[in-house]
Amino acid sequence: MIKSMIALAKMQFSQYNIYKSNFYLFTLNRIVEVIVYIFVWQAIYNQTGELAGGFSINQMITYYILSVTISPLVHWGINEDIAYSIRNGQINKELLNPISYFKYYFGINLGEMGFALVVGFATFIICSIFWSVVFPSSLGRFMMFIVVILLGIPITFFLQMIVGITGFYTNSIWGMKILRKAVISIFAGMIAPITLFPNWFQKLANILPFKELIYTPINIWLGQVPINDIYFIIIKQVIWAIILYSIAKIFFNHAVKKVTINGG
Amino acid sequence: MGIIEVKKLVKEYKVIQKEKGLLGYFKNLIHPKYKKFTAVNNININIEEGELVGYIGENGAGKSTTIKMLTGLLTPTSGEVIVNGLVPSEKRIENNKNIGAVFGQKTQLWWDLPVIESFRLIKKMYKIPENEYRKNLKRFTEILELEDLLEKQVKNLSLGQKMRCEIAATFMHNPKIVYLDEPTIGLDVLVKENIRKFIKDVNKEKNTTVILTTHDLKDIEDVCNRIILLDKGQIIYDGGKQEFKDIYGNYVIAEFIIKEKKQSIKESMNLDIIHILEETEKNLKIKFKHDETTIMKVMDEISKYCTIEDIHMKEPELEDILKDIYKGVHTNDKKYDSTSENAI
Repeated sequence: MIKSMIALAKMQFSQYNIYKSNFYLFTLNRIVEVIVYIFVWQAIYNQTGELAGGFSINQMITYYILSVTISPLVHWGINEDIAYSIRNGQINKELLNPISYFKYYFGINLGEMGFALVVGFATFIICSIFWSVVFPSSLGRFMMFIVVILLGIPITFFLQMIVGITGFYTNSIWGMKILRKAVISIFAGMIAPITLFPNWFQKLANILPFKELIYTPINIWLGQVPINDIYFIIIKQVIWAIILYSIAKIFFNHAVKKVTINGG
Repeated sequence: MGIIEVKKLVKEYKVIQKEKGLLGYFKNLIHPKYKKFTAVNNININIEEGELVGYIGENGAGKSTTIKMLTGLLTPTSGEVIVNGLVPSEKRIENNKNIGAVFGQKTQLWWDLPVIESFRLIKKMYKIPENEYRKNLKRFTEILELEDLLEKQVKNLSLGQKMRCEIAATFMHNPKIVYLDEPTIGLDVLVKENIRKFIKDVNKEKNTTVILTTHDLKDIEDVCNRIILLDKGQIIYDGGKQEFKDIYGNYVIAEFIIKEKKQSIKESMNLDIIHILEETEKNLKIKFKHDETTIMKVMDEISKYCTIEDIHMKEPELEDILKDIYKGVHTNDKKYDSTSENAI
């Protein structure tokens, strides 16, 4: 089963890789995004000359470089593939696979994440040429950074699954997709570090699962999170993964029942 | 015990009955009215391992609905489906390992990748042993002439090439049962023949059970040994292909080229035995049964009204027979005698 998932991941990865221009364009797109953010913050720091949200200018620049590096892992994914497969009836074929729909798409999602990682890595390398990036203070911190990011993959997958499955009911996931993207962008700290936002917002962000997708790992990298917090962070991620999995599963079972009773 | 057992299978759909106008729209929103539509009505099928079954019927007769229930994609309203000892709608994934399916234009090949990559994925997903995979790949490549296609991207293949690859992909894991829903739709004659040969060969070698839905009756004529004919959700014929022809097709169609016609043949001739299908100044097409008259007598009769220049006779093909059945010509036959008002 793991083998079939890896095989699926490879397929999806090479599917992306067929179009070499995909890679260059995606990477360029990331870099343009990071340039905009960095210019804005450089202007702000020049005006105030103080720390913003507890970050120095170099830390802030690193924050955005990392954020743009990781964000494809969070934003890309299979929700559109699922919605498409539902709309054009491809789902009938996929339900006839010898592995479950979830595993099938998790495999594909892994391939997509693989490609996102490559793009992210390239972005990071190029950015670190132009700006001075702050590196983690220890190997332990770097490993923690990786662990938290990896645990984010199932979380984003289940979120994508939920959004994709709404296609069963609405025939279009456009609205849901935008909503998902907006919510994640804000709550994950993609637009700005969460510490800059009002108190109530920070409290909310502490409960929701999105913060651990971008904000927390970057702060682990930057040394803003005490190393002992890692246990709490991991537990929170696992609990959220279970919750989102259950929601996705319930959603999916209901949707499949609907398909198998009313026809596709 | 057959490999596929279907007992008293019923599938009803609920369709929302639309009402006209804005008021109707809101009425529907609050209290939708449903209409029941029975797609499959109480059918029984028993298929043995290794059979080649042609599952035919008009559009909307309920063929695809049945196939979907057999694969577990649809849950029956009532009745029993057992495929290979499993209830497909309850153990879908388990059942999927034993079956293969081609649904019209939907593909399991990966659009941007070379065909062979999709085959490799199938090998991994179905856990096909290496030597078995190689053997099948070699054999299928040979029969379906895939040699030059394997390294090509799927998007660059023509419809016929794609379908040949699709069929190979479907049979790759040695499924016990294969459902083919319109596998030859839109393909040219050579590709069709190629695919038919493949199905027959694999059936002979591996005893694969094949259920074939198609509107191209040459497929059936060529491949199948059993016909199940569905009409309005009910089975109206289930049996051998030859018996089917014997029951419904025991007549001859004769086409005459005539001249010097004196009067309308249709109006003046004894119509009990000879059925006139078409009549123009120079042409006459008739149908008669072997056991009621002979061609000599028919010619005698016709030559009373005109001079016969040429004659062309043929046995009815499956297509002619089905056309008659769909039009309701046989509705007063023994199989189904309730709605005889359609009969000519």
